Amino acid sequence: MKLSITDILFFLVPTIFFTIILYVMVGWTFYISFSDWQGTAPNYNFVGLKWYQLMFKLDRFWVDIRNNIIWLLVGVGPTAIVAIFLAYILELKSTQRFETYIRNLILYPAAMSFLVTGTIWSWMYQPDKGVINTILKWANLGFLTSNFVTDPATANYWLTLIFFWQYLGFSVIILQSSLRTTYLKEMVEAAAVDGASRMRILFNIVIPNIRGGILILISLLLISALKVFDIVYIVTFGGPGYSTDVLALFMFIATFQQHLVAVGAGLGVIIFIMALIIVIPYTIYAFRRWFG
Amino acid sequence: MSEEKKKISPSLIISVIIIIVLLAALVYYATLPPKVEVVPTVVVTTVYTTAPRTEERKLEIFHWWTAGGEREAADAMFRALKSKYPDIILVENPVAGGGGVSHRVVLQARLSAGLPPDTWQTLGGAELKAYVDGGFLEPIDDLWEELKYADAIPKPLADMVTVGGHRYTVPLNIHIQNILYYNKKLFDELGLKPPTTIDELLAVAEAIKKAKPNMWPLALGTKEKWEAAFVLDSFILETGGPEYYVKLFKGLVDVKTDPTFRKALERLSELVPYVYPYHAGLTWDESCGLVVSGDAAMVLMGTWAIGYFQSRGWTPGKEFGALTFPQKPERILLGHTDSYGLAKGAPHPNTCKDWLRVVASADLQVPTDVTQGGMFARLDIDPMKFPDPIRQELQTYLRNNPGKLILDQHGSIAPYSFTQAYWDAIAAFFAEPKVDGTISTVASLFETYNVKAEAAWYHWGSV
Repeated sequence: MKLSITDILFFLVPTIFFTIILYVMVGWTFYISFSDWQGTAPNYNFVGLKWYQLMFKLDRFWVDIRNNIIWLLVGVGPTAIVAIFLAYILELKSTQRFETYIRNLILYPAAMSFLVTGTIWSWMYQPDKGVINTILKWANLGFLTSNFVTDPATANYWLTLIFFWQYLGFSVIILQSSLRTTYLKEMVEAAAVDGASRMRILFNIVIPNIRGGILILISLLLISALKVFDIVYIVTFGGPGYSTDVLALFMFIATFQQHLVAVGAGLGVIIFIMALIIVIPYTIYAFRRWFG
Repeated sequence: MSEEKKKISPSLIISVIIIIVLLAALVYYATLPPKVEVVPTVVVTTVYTTAPRTEERKLEIFHWWTAGGEREAADAMFRALKSKYPDIILVENPVAGGGGVSHRVVLQARLSAGLPPDTWQTLGGAELKAYVDGGFLEPIDDLWEELKYADAIPKPLADMVTVGGHRYTVPLNIHIQNILYYNKKLFDELGLKPPTTIDELLAVAEAIKKAKPNMWPLALGTKEKWEAAFVLDSFILETGGPEYYVKLFKGLVDVKTDPTFRKALERLSELVPYVYPYHAGLTWDESCGLVVSGDAAMVLMGTWAIGYFQSRGWTPGKEFGALTFPQKPERILLGHTDSYGLAKGAPHPNTCKDWLRVVASADLQVPTDVTQGGMFARLDIDPMKFPDPIRQELQTYLRNNPGKLILDQHGSIAPYSFTQAYWDAIAAFFAEPKVDGTISTVASLFETYNVKAEAAWYHWGSV
């Protein structure tokens, strides 16, 4: 293949912008995390792991790691599983009439900003005047009421529910696009003629054939869950205490409230490393497809 | 097609040139020696000393009074400036993103880039010290001398903005934080006297709970965390006294073994059952809202809550009362201050000094503080200028006892790195009152953030 100057430019311009804006900044953050920048004025003296050592000593840091893992497991798992079932059900002949309505219904949350949904949900979660508890009490289901995000033991799970609600529609759309291929349709039809049950079709034919879509979806969800910030910021601000704090929020607080810029950069590095680990399975899959 | 490919179009050449320039700029920037930020500072200072008259009459100012209520106070400030110096052109928050935290984010970026505004709002205490340590503020001792400002305000207030013997900013108000607001009609109805000690507070709380089972005796909102530390502050103040309070936050107390800190926490845990339990979801104004709506009877909050209660239609002395808490062993006012200084390398230093002269004047302080909810920094302003009896009484007390003012942990004595983490620990205490766990957390925070060295700049009384 011969490359023209236009081709090279089309390749070069985005590459340079990405390099400057993204990768140079990532490298810069790495460097800052090893510097002695504490306080308002930049201080680029290299001090090695000094601020990492402080960070690892903080209880808050380990609470954040635990919470981020909860987000990764509880936020992503149910969203992906429910999305697979929902996408499959919406493709069945018997649900075709409602498909558009249901898809719009579950897609609306994805169109809203986290700031908006966060505000709505904190209003619903409010324990003594909030929507959910008020409705439960009115329906004589008082035993079902909960303290929601004000209870340190369960607050994290109620927060991940917001994530689930917001990302479900988005996940279904991604899976639907990989379900709607001609060869998959033909296979499903053939299996149906052979008398396979719907469940059997789902597990033996549909899921193995949309592995790529599922992998992309899970990678996207994992990364969204890992960098979660807005939901926590709006609904609990990390509270009660710091029981729902996450790495991204701590990064913000360490940098701009505590003026520990090196620690903030260090937390950014930790998030970066976790993100790298998460995308490894996807990368392996992609490489196998291209070169395998 | 192949003909076209060989011809190089002008737009192509231009884009190549742009890319090369960008790359060259990047390489040049990367090879620059560090600490380039210092260069503009020097240049501007010389310009200012040699040719002071050529300066543009412009004032670039950063402040976080952008929300409702506070916006009006900011307008009052700028009206005072305009009536004194009509020629000054005001450039307010020139970068989008006002309000508290985001204000600091934008300001930090400007300062790090060596492009400071002329002046910005800062609390006295640790926040101010962070700017001084960073070399972003110019000492203004001569201006203080000219205005005789040290004689005009309480000495502890002057100490809040003095680092290493130099004055750095001009305070325009004092916020007192240890004030207990209560529902006056309810207290009259139940025949209760507003509490002045921890014992009385617990007794009143018990009486309210008995008489009104659906009402929480004390409102609290810990979403922003600092609210929780306010309540503990009052308890520390009564348990240990004012000098202990200062010593504690200067890191001079061994928290791990200290009986006073433990006792304050233990007494606080006695109060927890009477506190609104869903505090984690509420901000300070929402917690005051619980008192207005009748869901709670009292709330411990700063002077700024007066404005909130009034905005909800409550009249001081009629629907709600207020008093400093605790009043034993002595009546201490814990407070912090909003202030403005002069940036090092400010683009318009002379205009900025005119602004600071206005900040120090009663012409600015009276309308601003009355609107915003603080107390007057100047002691020579008539306390009766306040419309409400609460601040009239507080200002009179301050006027007669200026030495009873202490910089609070909020404003703060200890560095911000510590203070933020301390708030989290105390907010967690209200969710799960574990005395031993909190003591060891707080003790390790004092150590981790090196409070003893970082807070050594602050002095109060003999401490």
